[in-house]
Amino acid sequence: MEGKRVAVVDMDIGLRNLDVVMGLENRIVFNIVDAVKGKCKIGQAAIKDRRIENLFLIPASQSDNKNVLSPEDMLRFSKVLRDEFDYVLMDCPAGIERGFENSVAAAQEALVICTPEVSSVRDADRVIGLLYSRGITPKLVVNRIVPEMVARGDMLSHEDVVEVLSIDLVGLVEMDNQVVISTNTGLPIVMQKDSKAGEAFRQIALRLNGQPDLPIQVPSTHKPFWKKVGHKLGFGR
Amino acid sequence: MLNGLLKKILGKGGSKQIAKKRLQFALIYDKLEVSDTTLQSLQRDIVEVISRYFVIDQEEIKLEFQRDRDSSALVVNTPILSARRTITPA
Repeated sequence: MEGKRVAVVDMDIGLRNLDVVMGLENRIVFNIVDAVKGKCKIGQAAIKDRRIENLFLIPASQSDNKNVLSPEDMLRFSKVLRDEFDYVLMDCPAGIERGFENSVAAAQEALVICTPEVSSVRDADRVIGLLYSRGITPKLVVNRIVPEMVARGDMLSHEDVVEVLSIDLVGLVEMDNQVVISTNTGLPIVMQKDSKAGEAFRQIALRLNGQPDLPIQVPSTHKPFWKKVGHKLGFGR
Repeated sequence: MLNGLLKKILGKGGSKQIAKKRLQFALIYDKLEVSDTTLQSLQRDIVEVISRYFVIDQEEIKLEFQRDRDSSALVVNTPILSARRTITPA
């Protein structure tokens, strides 16, 4: 993130995945549980990404479960992390149980990611409520927007989602098949210059890092006018 | 076919309105943890109480929720036709 030292922490203990998504799975020696329990130093658990400078991954443990760590552990551990890194991103697991408690224990800010679907927005509302009750004002990212479906009225638009959740936006990400390819290969999507989702994520990073007013681009169908008219009249696809 | 064409021209239809409505109601119930029947009997009671003092249009009464960041409000909206001269005691 713009030359800052960034650590990404996979908090999904027992269901580790950020390592494969980032293509760093074969470099894991120690994990977050080792680091919290003092079995290794942070520098040993944090894997340096060789493609993106100053990016580090602290992987989850795959053999434990969420209860192996407590919110108090994380508060203590976060103090050490703050000295080492400019930004620490905790990847919170699904659910509102211990994994969530551990992830938000030391959080100063929070991003809630949802998709424009009923089940996702409902869960987001619940999580937003839990974050508020901890004194954290979260921001929202709407992921996997399909502009064609929004235009047709078959998908909630980002305005609908924002209205229902009454929360500030920090980014809109279009549905992008490149993401699947990117996770297949383990090459970060932000490194793929022609990817719409990658561009959206780069912009979110800028907004978080001192440019909060960077305008948010709304994913659109980008269709020439006459093609649009033809489409409305039922010609072509 | 003609129907589909009309739909396309008017841009009507679409399942998102249904999604939004369902979502808004689901969130209200999630927050309050009450069922639809509870809300209906609440509305009935409110109508009864207001009717003791005012003549209201019972068809037009609206019970809705307004959500703010950290609070939700129950808003009852009703047109009052006139005040009752003699207030019937409870």
